[in-house]
Amino acid sequence: MSTTQFTRRDLLKAGSTAVALALLPRPLLADFGGPTPVPVPPIEDPDVKKLALRAIEAARSAGASYADVRLTHTYDRQVNGNSLLLTETQYQNLLPLVDEETMHVGVRALVNGYWGFAASPIWSPDEMARLAQEAVNQAQVNGLGLVRAVELPPIPKVVDGHWSTPVKRDPFQVSPLEMLDYMHSIGRYGELRLDRHIEPYNFVARAWFEYRCVMQDKAFASTEGSYLTQRFYRSHGSLQVEGSKGYKNLSHDDLHVHPAEFITTVGEGWESVGYDQATMREKIRQFYEEVLIPELLLPKQSVEVGRYDAVIEANGVAKLVSQTLGRATELDRALGYEANAGGTSYINDPLAMVGNYQMGAETLTVTADRSSPGGCATVQWDDEGVKPEDYTLIQNGVLTDFHTTRESASWLKDHYTKHQRPVRSHGCAAAATGREAPLTHVPNLSMAPGKESLDFKAMVGMLKSGIAIKDINPTMDFQCLNGWVPNPQVYRVRDGKCVARIEGAALLFRAPELWKGIRALGGPDSVRRFGFSSAKGEPAQETYHTVAAPPALFQQLTLIDVRRK
Amino acid sequence: MKGSVYHGGRALIGSEEGRVLSETDCGKLADGLAGFAQGGGKTIPEIVSWWQGELRWGRNRVTLASDRRDVRIKVKRQVLGTDGVATTNETDDASLEGVVRAAERIAAMGFNPAQDAGAFGAPPPVALEAPRTVVWSDATYNLTPKARAEIAQALVRPAEAKGLLSAGYIEVRAGARLQIINGQRFYVPYTHAQCSMTVRDPQGTGSGWAGDTNYDWAKIDTTALTEQALQKAVASRNPVALEPGRYTVILEPQAVADLLEILVRRMLRPPVVPGWAAEDGGGPFAKAKDSALDIWRTKLGSQVVDNRLTLSADLADPNLGILPEPGMKPVVTWIDRGVLTGLDYWRSYAVAQLGLDSALRSPALSYRLSGNGPETSIPEMIATTKRGVLVSRFWEVRELALKSLLASGMTRDGLWLIEDGKITKPVKNFRFTESPLFALNQLEQFGKPERVFRPVRSPDVPGLTPAVVPALKVRDFSFTSMADAV
Repeated sequence: MSTTQFTRRDLLKAGSTAVALALLPRPLLADFGGPTPVPVPPIEDPDVKKLALRAIEAARSAGASYADVRLTHTYDRQVNGNSLLLTETQYQNLLPLVDEETMHVGVRALVNGYWGFAASPIWSPDEMARLAQEAVNQAQVNGLGLVRAVELPPIPKVVDGHWSTPVKRDPFQVSPLEMLDYMHSIGRYGELRLDRHIEPYNFVARAWFEYRCVMQDKAFASTEGSYLTQRFYRSHGSLQVEGSKGYKNLSHDDLHVHPAEFITTVGEGWESVGYDQATMREKIRQFYEEVLIPELLLPKQSVEVGRYDAVIEANGVAKLVSQTLGRATELDRALGYEANAGGTSYINDPLAMVGNYQMGAETLTVTADRSSPGGCATVQWDDEGVKPEDYTLIQNGVLTDFHTTRESASWLKDHYTKHQRPVRSHGCAAAATGREAPLTHVPNLSMAPGKESLDFKAMVGMLKSGIAIKDINPTMDFQCLNGWVPNPQVYRVRDGKCVARIEGAALLFRAPELWKGIRALGGPDSVRRFGFSSAKGEPAQETYHTVAAPPALFQQLTLIDVRRK
Repeated sequence: MKGSVYHGGRALIGSEEGRVLSETDCGKLADGLAGFAQGGGKTIPEIVSWWQGELRWGRNRVTLASDRRDVRIKVKRQVLGTDGVATTNETDDASLEGVVRAAERIAAMGFNPAQDAGAFGAPPPVALEAPRTVVWSDATYNLTPKARAEIAQALVRPAEAKGLLSAGYIEVRAGARLQIINGQRFYVPYTHAQCSMTVRDPQGTGSGWAGDTNYDWAKIDTTALTEQALQKAVASRNPVALEPGRYTVILEPQAVADLLEILVRRMLRPPVVPGWAAEDGGGPFAKAKDSALDIWRTKLGSQVVDNRLTLSADLADPNLGILPEPGMKPVVTWIDRGVLTGLDYWRSYAVAQLGLDSALRSPALSYRLSGNGPETSIPEMIATTKRGVLVSRFWEVRELALKSLLASGMTRDGLWLIEDGKITKPVKNFRFTESPLFALNQLEQFGKPERVFRPVRSPDVPGLTPAVVPALKVRDFSFTSMADAV
């Protein structure tokens, strides 16, 4: 019998759709109560609904006052564009393509104010009943006589809703061969361009291009009568150039890494990285000419420890928003529910601080949503069946709200009532798959830009003396309070110009002082968006969100020598 | 349909006794995968099955109790000299066939030069034996939801009685892995248990933590943990600011383990990256280049830390509980009384890049650090300290330099000033910039090695990473800035 021994040319000739289909595994099976298991149908299929309702019924009759079920079917594909650029003996475990397909189901039940959860990989009527019973059992045993009040503010019932992340090119319908071909050629082009430009400097470089796509079908049902299905897409693209100067081989002690910021993690399809060759090459050329080459031409300078006014590029500001503002305003975290996992928050008395705590300068306004097109956290309904609403987290520097779920929204009842606002979840309940119980996660965040049309360069131009920062990787403490940024890409600025590259520095900051020290914000045209992951919980779970932010000018940031003991 | 494991596999996962797939069931799945292979070549499966009972609490109440299970069926198909890998978590015939086909299609793309699978990445020269160490505990496997709830309540009660807030986590895991290496089957069942908690005062001015991990739940003393977390929370309240600088520090065992993490990761399992091995001039254990021979000399045989310290692992060590893997060395000593005596590499890398061939590999990331000579208890260390700082644990230790292993991180959950042999006051947290190698060279005293909290966080990754380390008193430890988080 002939096997699937395609040659690469055969596959390319066959066209992308045929190839994509050939490369997808056959659908997994599920047992819908018929005589034999059948391939998993599209998520909107009534059979999936029957399965979900089976779990709901079982949970209700086992004694749950509330229960919900999530069935997920997840495709995960990693395409490694570097694989062909490396010799065989290097990176032996780096495969160009890794495919994973998994199914999960998780039932959550509420009994006497306690939550129970049970999950497994099996979709079948019996398993739905078993998981429901187990979730109720888990919830029941935890009261032990202690009362715990859980209030779930009402939400509109949604019956048979369906939604899908809009994508221009479904990444699972694009041939992995096409992807690899494209990525290899871009990686190759990246190396060649770099060589040509910097050969005189004896600079060794390599371009890394990676892509991972995730597609997830999810069905949700609750005892309140909602039933809805969604399909999500997420694309993790990354292109970065690594290089070191003056060595034959890449040296990790003097390694420069430059992520190309036009590729990030987004709630989109292959279109997020798969530009046409000419566009992509133009972007890379620009990236080299505007970011890399100028940097290489600048003289190196060691750190002069001190405090400097600093312009931070949009990606750095977005990371700071995510880690210091986004995480600190998870209500469960602020109240101490995450104390034994990721930590707590410097907003340490959230119910008293909401509405009056000064988080930053008057120019700091941050809104939250799960609706921005292309946002990593964008959904139609969250993992509790809530249609998320857009809300203002920080208005003119004042903390106005928190990320909430149905349960945690009720903790803010007094605040909402006082301000004549409805007690309602913002729809931040999320979990990676049906295997994890949902927790409050950071939604998409947008930091409002300034009114003037400033960009990074213009803000650097405003500095008489200071520093300019292109990229940072902040580490926050367990209260999201003190930040430390080792080895930022930082430049000395004099009279509005970058005059030297500062090596071996670290930034130190405290979140409230950082945000209170905003002197200027980039204009609307300078806003960029970036996707980040954030992990929390025990057992740990990870979700993604997008942050849109402009570059910003901060006053008096502390720069230290990263290696000084 | 070929020999169906559909009903076996599926029904089992959902049953009480099927929380973890048996050797027979894993074998059936492996046979199923092999049976679906087309086009010759090799079929190399790895099957991981797990169950977890979990309980989480916050603000003195249980917030979630759960029961979860999953299976990961990963198959590598090696056809005509190329590899393809695909993974699923469904156990029926059609899914098994699907995952085999997916792997074959990737192999057919011809991009992956074949590598023999298994833990080594290259075929071992001799038949392997899986060391027969038992890391299964019925106490872990049989800790019921009710028992977990009762334990949690007992842990929370003392905190609540004192007006403090407790948050914590109990997890019991049972898992099994089937590997096939060179046609040999290795099935290992194991258990894993963890308990940890953080106690804070409601004003957020003090925080205490305690945690323990072991394959055997019965070995975890939850009462001692809650006492420790409570005591630290109370004693760390209202800390005062202290000037950053060099201090004599007494590092509790957990702090030692947190600091050593970057060192053991370099030593026990260096990443397979060219140029990172000591023999390539990379990392902390490269000595100097021998330009005549054009090779790098390593520090093997040289003293690298204080000559009282030994870093080793022993599969038979009852206080460790290491998950045995085929071809694992039963005993390994990386540092013997201060002298570097062993370095470890992935076999494929060692053979291809370094020309070294060793059939056996060290236990991954499991270790014991012990002192040779008289042990000193923490109270004795404090009593003999004129001025110093007692450290409970570290947070987010990041490596800054590969060669010196200079790192930076923070203290947390209890830091106290010691003056004239006594703890005098709690102090605000510090950021430190220091190398674990420097610390191990500035040793004054060491304590009795104790088990520390070192969980394998993802159940998808089979394994256990136990560590046993002593408390250490170290001179001139460098705190570089204050970080006033609690």
